[in-house]
Amino acid sequence: MKVPLAALSASLLLLVSTPVAVAFKASDFKTCSQSGFCRRGRDFATRAKDNVNTWRSPYSVDAQSISLASGRALLTAAVNSALYPDIKFSLEVHVHEDGVVRVRMDEVGGLKKRYDEAAKWALAVEPSISAHTQWKVGASSARAIIEPKTKPGHEVVVEFKPLRVVLNKNGREQVVVNGRGLLHMEHYRNKTVEEPKVESPEEGAETQAQEVLKVNPNAWFEGDSEDAYWEESFGSWSDSKPKGPESLSLDIDFPHHGHVYGIPQHATSLDLPTTTGEDPFFSDPYRFYNADVFEYLASGTTSLYGSIPVMHAHSADSTVAIFNAVGSETWIDVAHPTAKSTGTHWISESGILDLFILPGPSPTEIFGQYSGLTGAAPLPAHWALGYHQCRWNYVSSDDVRGVQKRFDEEDMPFDVLWLDIEYSKDHQYMIWDKKNFPDPVEMTKDVAALGRKMVIIVDPHLKRADDYPVYKQAQELGVLVKQTNGNDDYEGWCWPGSSSWVDFFNPVSWDFWKSLFKTTKGSSWSWTESTEDIHIWNDMNEPSVFNGPEITMPKDLIHYGGWEHRDIHNINGMFLPRITSEGLIARGETPKRPFVLTRSFFAGSQRYGAMWTGDNLGTWEHMAVGIKMVLSNGIAGMSFAGSDVGGFFGNPQPDMLVRWYWVGAFSPFFRAHAHLDSKRREPYLLDEPHKSTVRNILRLRYSLLPVWYTAFRETSVTGLPLLRPHYVMFPQDETGFTIDDQFFVGNSGLLVKPITRPGVTEETIYLPEDNVYYDYFTYRIYRGSPKGRNVTVPADLHQLPLLVRGGSIIPTRDRPRRASSHMHRDPFTLRIALDGSLKARGEIYLDDGVTYSYREGHLTWRGLAIDKISRGSELRLLNTDLAAATPYSAAEGTAVTEFRPENPFQTGIASVRVERVIVLGLPGKPKRIVVEGGRELEWEYAPGAGAARKRGDSDGGDASVLTIKDPGLAVATDWAILITM
Amino acid sequence: MHPLLFLLSLFPTFVFAAGLPQTRGVHPSFLSQYKPKGTTWTCLDGTKTIPWSAVNDDYCDCIDGSDEPGTSACSGNTFYCENEGHVGASIPSSRVNDGLCEPACCDGSDEPAGVCENTCAAVGELYRQKQEAARKLQKTGSKIRSTYIAFAQKEKKRLETEIESSQMEIVRHEKEVARFRVLVERTEALSEEVLEHKKKSPLYTSLITHHNALKSLQREHKRHLEREKQLSDILDTLRHGYNPNYQDMAVLEAVRGWEYLAGLPHISEAEREEGGDEEDGATAQVDEVKEELEEGEWSVRQLEQQLDELLNVDHTSLLMEHDSYVDEPASVSPSHDIKAYLPDFLIPQYEFLRDTLVSGLQVLGIVKGSSTAASGWTKATKAREKLNDAEHGLNLAQKHLEDAREELGDLFDPTRYGAEGEWKKLHNTCLRKDTGDYVYEVCLFEDARQNPNHGGSSFSLGKFASWNPSLGVIEGSKEYYHTQVYSHGTRCWNGPERNVKLDLTCGTENALLTVTELEKCEYLFTGTTPALCLPLEDETESPKDEL
Repeated sequence: MKVPLAALSASLLLLVSTPVAVAFKASDFKTCSQSGFCRRGRDFATRAKDNVNTWRSPYSVDAQSISLASGRALLTAAVNSALYPDIKFSLEVHVHEDGVVRVRMDEVGGLKKRYDEAAKWALAVEPSISAHTQWKVGASSARAIIEPKTKPGHEVVVEFKPLRVVLNKNGREQVVVNGRGLLHMEHYRNKTVEEPKVESPEEGAETQAQEVLKVNPNAWFEGDSEDAYWEESFGSWSDSKPKGPESLSLDIDFPHHGHVYGIPQHATSLDLPTTTGEDPFFSDPYRFYNADVFEYLASGTTSLYGSIPVMHAHSADSTVAIFNAVGSETWIDVAHPTAKSTGTHWISESGILDLFILPGPSPTEIFGQYSGLTGAAPLPAHWALGYHQCRWNYVSSDDVRGVQKRFDEEDMPFDVLWLDIEYSKDHQYMIWDKKNFPDPVEMTKDVAALGRKMVIIVDPHLKRADDYPVYKQAQELGVLVKQTNGNDDYEGWCWPGSSSWVDFFNPVSWDFWKSLFKTTKGSSWSWTESTEDIHIWNDMNEPSVFNGPEITMPKDLIHYGGWEHRDIHNINGMFLPRITSEGLIARGETPKRPFVLTRSFFAGSQRYGAMWTGDNLGTWEHMAVGIKMVLSNGIAGMSFAGSDVGGFFGNPQPDMLVRWYWVGAFSPFFRAHAHLDSKRREPYLLDEPHKSTVRNILRLRYSLLPVWYTAFRETSVTGLPLLRPHYVMFPQDETGFTIDDQFFVGNSGLLVKPITRPGVTEETIYLPEDNVYYDYFTYRIYRGSPKGRNVTVPADLHQLPLLVRGGSIIPTRDRPRRASSHMHRDPFTLRIALDGSLKARGEIYLDDGVTYSYREGHLTWRGLAIDKISRGSELRLLNTDLAAATPYSAAEGTAVTEFRPENPFQTGIASVRVERVIVLGLPGKPKRIVVEGGRELEWEYAPGAGAARKRGDSDGGDASVLTIKDPGLAVATDWAILITM
Repeated sequence: MHPLLFLLSLFPTFVFAAGLPQTRGVHPSFLSQYKPKGTTWTCLDGTKTIPWSAVNDDYCDCIDGSDEPGTSACSGNTFYCENEGHVGASIPSSRVNDGLCEPACCDGSDEPAGVCENTCAAVGELYRQKQEAARKLQKTGSKIRSTYIAFAQKEKKRLETEIESSQMEIVRHEKEVARFRVLVERTEALSEEVLEHKKKSPLYTSLITHHNALKSLQREHKRHLEREKQLSDILDTLRHGYNPNYQDMAVLEAVRGWEYLAGLPHISEAEREEGGDEEDGATAQVDEVKEELEEGEWSVRQLEQQLDELLNVDHTSLLMEHDSYVDEPASVSPSHDIKAYLPDFLIPQYEFLRDTLVSGLQVLGIVKGSSTAASGWTKATKAREKLNDAEHGLNLAQKHLEDAREELGDLFDPTRYGAEGEWKKLHNTCLRKDTGDYVYEVCLFEDARQNPNHGGSSFSLGKFASWNPSLGVIEGSKEYYHTQVYSHGTRCWNGPERNVKLDLTCGTENALLTVTELEKCEYLFTGTTPALCLPLEDETESPKDEL
């Protein structure tokens, strides 16, 4: 949510002349040229470019120093800088079991220590070093063939002079580190105090001589001035920079990859536009400095609320990726020297070099490798995939009850009702404002009684009030972020006024914070006026500090371990949802899956919950870029993502709101939210026909919950994104590399292109393959081609371009219910979209949706497949047990080696049946349909086009539709249906 | 998992569905259509014929969903529960067999047998008690309401009488006006020519220019005052409402600047000193500042009070008076002096003419014997004044009549005081609600306000605009009178004009119950009034039963 101050007041003062509030205030945030180390880094890159023929990296490996460890897969060496022979650096290059290469470099024995814990917080587990890979050390380089054998031809090379690290595939360079000589680790130094000049005639000649000597011999590399080495100011703020210059510059090039993706969060296209080189799209580098950006622009490189320093480099031949584990402010320049190559330049303010090179070579493998490092998003609570209704603010417990009542009166489903900051007394989170919420527990129970949940905001800024137990405890424990002197608690301004922040880098804070969420009285204060049906929204965790530089904390504040805020800024936001979700898991007797929404995030945040794209605007541009941002977050691991439906700021017109609901219904996280100043816009307030359209959209979301949940299972196990861009689905199809306005939902075969423009009645959608696609609603057929093809589909306000890829089986639960919790026993409909060879595949994953019992194998995971048998005269639809086939990959964290079909969950849903089977694209009317070894089934057939293209078959037309009535077969048992043609 | 759900999941649904009677969930008014024709049955929309056994088999066959009245298989249906011992109810089919016992179906028929308790006896009893209480309330309320209607009848009589007397008054005034008009026309015809000449006097034209300039200045002055008021309102709101915690220097500077300019103490200090009396103290301070005026300059108070008077002075009269002033010291009046400019041969004719004219005017009483034109003009002006007075009287009487007619028209206008005039009594009845920080007030048919309890400015939340303007609400219907809208209140500094929606229900008192600001500057008031307590149907038929 939320509006920092500056723009509030700006719009206030403009009130007389312009009633419209001003937007993004660029002057609140730094450009590269206003950031000392970025300026230095870019100047440095310019010097290198201008002197490309003579430029030579001063860093080299001391070949004598090389040693190997951990079965020879870990190489360590000393690195020297020709500029400063006395300064020592160390280099480590690890090769992991899965082929990931980790490159670490640090200053050794320096005046101070560089921050080296970014990876510690980002990684889910300590990666295991390869048991097979062995370095071979030569005179000028060291080489290692990357195991396992699934990556043939992959080799990592460390060249000594100058230092370069290269990942090769079949002799072709995939990733080159320091290929352009932009590696520079500014070593710690003492500030040289300018000596007062003593003018004396005798010494005149000598002084002159000394001055000549003082010319910096390293100026060709470092520049001739100490630009912002020791202090820096921005606006009215100054940064004391007690450690002096310590930035890290690094060039990472992809000589054979013309597209790069990732480095969320930025409001831009998925295929990252250039920031340098010839005619760059943007002029400033992409920035990572988590910030509360008021009314951010729908296109730009400005840093937003979160940072995931992960970049994919893609070509039709291969995909590689890098994960640069750095937590300080970082700027990234992107250029395409040629259409088929990419150069990137990373400039960070502090920290060691800790780079992970992911060899791919396919997007799917990249996701495996990245989730191997930082973990995958765990299975969320099932209800969290339903529709969330939020607003700043539902103003009272009666208001809450009223909103729920109105939804029910209109028979519109929703699962979660949200409360923003105004529920709390003086913005002391967890303390109810009893004037408006006199009965919070009763209110929550009234919501929960209908099978729903509440999500309530808990922000990280604590009002400095002695009668606020959360603050008081934190203060007494000494776990608050400290001022520059390292002793006194930092005090900044946020919603409650004077506030302090918990320093979650201090492990002592963890138990304290977790215990707050206990709903029963214990030894210390806990939120007894809450229930286990309340889940948490963590906002403002960048952190947002209203009176701080760039609306956040001063960089010279001190965190646990003496680290400066500058070292950990981008990591900071990850802790609040982490510890909060751990608190929610621990609060009850039976651990239940928590739901925590965060605005700020870092690599690894996917382990703790969902994110949203922050305070977007109710404009078409923001609606469109929101989709791209969710895609980008997804490929960086943060799959459980969405944008505020309707736009946070503004009052969207009904047509825009309807389109936004379509977008939301196909976002992993589906929440409508609105600013305090906006009109109420709950869907029941819409006039017809919009109200009915939105009701249908909500019902569609709910009927597709089996698809979403099944997709999430895969994501939780493989790290694959929930929403899949074209380059992930079809890595060889060049046309798809730049597409980011249409996407696939998991591996379900659903292809969707939400409309994000006004006045549209039809839309082109790109089909990337020679396959048949079916309109989800009308069953009209669209045929692709081997080279890819655009087709036009209807896209009126009540319609959505939603296609089913031939070869897919879509399981749905079509009975509208008022919340997802009432759907657990509802029967399934199977929509079978045959491909040209009359095949199709699908999956259904189910568990209790609430607890962690799936980790003990209490689950159902079914495979559905239809194939031709008996030389094509019959089709057989099979329901098989995937969990029994591969129990270890049934769900994330499943610790069972053998699947028990009689597990309590599966026994509990024994009565859940398939009530309808719809087969699209049969070549003709079947003769007979039976359950294999059982009864004959009732069915209807509507003739139409078949899946296979016939000679002279005109494009399109309506598919033939076979509807099998209620086969009465349980979803969790093995069976087969035979269709005789 | 909900324990109930778990229990429920032990019942295989298809077994449950197979045994359902075909009429389960059918509303009594449709029961006749749920009968088989032989072994088949036709969907209610007539589009499809299905086996009778397919009705309520938990599979949706019909396009209109009519084959599944008792299950959740077809979306968009309703399910009817009989609720024996209570009253029957319809619920959306999305709530059938969803694991939740629907409160609307106290017989528990929305879920498989054995899941939900039948609570209809208790629910029905409670319902009847509530109904009875509501009935009593309505009855008491309706008695009060009938006094409102009686009041309206009295008003009607009063207004009718007023109209009658106004009409008579008008006739009288009309006669008077006619009489004076004749007189004025006569006198003015004679004096117009001379007046025109006099008006060309440089002194007079300059006076008119001064007058116009002063009038324009006054207009501009008022505009500026108004603008200053608006700006100071905005700044006052900013001063009271801004969040000092945001530390926005631009806002702080604006607030401090305003405080300096307005002589107010800094808001945080003022608030620390408790109470809202800082405002008064500050105002007093401002007043103490003495105006330093040059001689003859008007004070602010004079400007406020005397300027209008000055601007309303009749210059024509002054012109005449001016003549008499000017004439006194100079013994010769211009008309006597004319001779000096006349050629000699004309003088005798002139003297004859003059004597004739003056004596003629003396006869008419326009020119005094002293024979100055000025006094003649005074006469003419006085006649004009009398005419004006008479016309004014006529206008007033006409206005009075118009108002009375309008009031009478409103009295039984359904868009105003209702068909029976039952709301007339409540015009300008003010209802208040103290929420701690503010007292909210609505004066019916007038306006709504927010008055702060702890200092600060009071805001208009809107003026009466209409009864329920929602689409689909029929004018004069019951629903229509349950909501009033007050709009165009003070504009929020960063939002819309404040508005109030007042939802009323029948109650024995005129009272405001709740005030909520559901979205910024949009207020929802709820309250009660006897005006909405319609007489009970059965009571009206035999009103004496109760007595």
